[in-house]
Amino acid sequence: MRKLYEFLTSLDLGIWLVTGVMLFIGIGSFVAKEGSAINDVPLFIWLTQAPPAETWWLWVTVAILALLALNTVLCSIESLRAKWQRGSFLIRIAPQVMHLGFLLIVLAHLFSAYGGFKDGGPLPEGGAFNFPDGSRLELVRLDARIGPMGMPLDFSGSLRHLTPGGVITGTFSPNHPYFYQGFGVYLKNVEIMPAKTALVEIHREPGAGVALAGALLFTVANLMLIWLRRGRRAGSANEKAPEELQTSEA
Amino acid sequence: MKWLLITSAALYLFGSYSRPLFVAGLVAELIHMGMRGQALGRLPLIGPHDTMAFFSTSIALMGLPFLYSRGAKKDSTLSWSIGALAALFALLALPFRSMNMPLPPVLNTLWFELHVALAFFAYGLFGIGAILGGLYLACNERTLLDLQYKASLIGYSFFSASMVSGGIWGYYAWGTYWLWTPKELWTSILWLFYSLYLHLRLKGSNADRIVAWAGIIGFGVTLFTYLGVSMLMKSSHSF
Repeated sequence: MRKLYEFLTSLDLGIWLVTGVMLFIGIGSFVAKEGSAINDVPLFIWLTQAPPAETWWLWVTVAILALLALNTVLCSIESLRAKWQRGSFLIRIAPQVMHLGFLLIVLAHLFSAYGGFKDGGPLPEGGAFNFPDGSRLELVRLDARIGPMGMPLDFSGSLRHLTPGGVITGTFSPNHPYFYQGFGVYLKNVEIMPAKTALVEIHREPGAGVALAGALLFTVANLMLIWLRRGRRAGSANEKAPEELQTSEA
Repeated sequence: MKWLLITSAALYLFGSYSRPLFVAGLVAELIHMGMRGQALGRLPLIGPHDTMAFFSTSIALMGLPFLYSRGAKKDSTLSWSIGALAALFALLALPFRSMNMPLPPVLNTLWFELHVALAFFAYGLFGIGAILGGLYLACNERTLLDLQYKASLIGYSFFSASMVSGGIWGYYAWGTYWLWTPKELWTSILWLFYSLYLHLRLKGSNADRIVAWAGIIGFGVTLFTYLGVSMLMKSSHSF
């Protein structure tokens, strides 16, 4: 049991697992080309319904990532235990906060893969569609500014949302979606001819908040680490506390 | 305006023995970028011409503190090497036509500009890290490996911030902070690679040469992520 724990907390295992994740993501970049249905549905639907010849690389990546997450958690615990009595609190905690940020981002992907929602299609001006909660969303007006080459330079839409709580009016445009109860309504494109039509998509990303929290934790801890190490000689292992190496290499 | 790029490449290639001439090359590139930006009304970050010029400027700009750092070699090998890398991408930008069309509305946001600019600053630092790794392998001077670590760590921080801003932009623009496209997959590989690099250092001084090589290989991954994916794979991020 002790040997298994030492194996799971070893730096070498972490390095091999990161190498494995890179390898299979690299393979996946050639297998899952743009245009594959991977981006059209929540990830776990794609994983369970697409042919194994398309999905195998992601199953392997997820398995390695699970081990990497375990390795990260155990290494952080061991590192904190070994160094708790020594050195600056911020120096001790910053790398572990970065690890926490990484774990939150992995968790966010799991939330989005399970609970994500994607739908969409063309919607003419004056048209309406049913929102996932059963309420009705109408595209009241569509405005577009078209450039000399026929490319839309700017466009936006006015919305009327008939919800159980009353009528909500709103707008949406590129980079400014309309949000309602965790769903975002996105104006992707417009067609002027033969009739003013919007290409609309509805998304729900339940992992977005967790991903942002993880990213912010990671960034803050990263900047903190750079700040704390400023002016110090950037020697490789020479500046590490001996127990850090022992823990990592255990 | 291309003459400014040619001037800067010449100054990098033939003047890098002198730091003031290197700075003059950088100033010429910054003026080029300022003029392009003024003509377009935004940062010039679209298309191979503008991105390669931006990459070249990023290499020189990020390289400047290393040329003036205490640990830099006394001879001009480092400044020649950084100058040659910056010149290479300035010259590579020249054959491509500059794209002067207005930005598609979805790209017209600060998050996009931040995402791309930070990524190129990181790419520049990874390039400098590779040069320092090569010099360390040639001279075995410990200071060079220390500088490589600094370049890679700061590059990693810029790259992480670029991924964060890209995720925020993606959420507001596309409805998701993540798409499974080749560019995003290779972006993850690059980020993981430099995470690996930073962890390799924990293995101690026995792994110093491996660390130096990792810094060199990392720049290879960087170039594939930037150019290889755009040229070889169909992706929404293609130039």
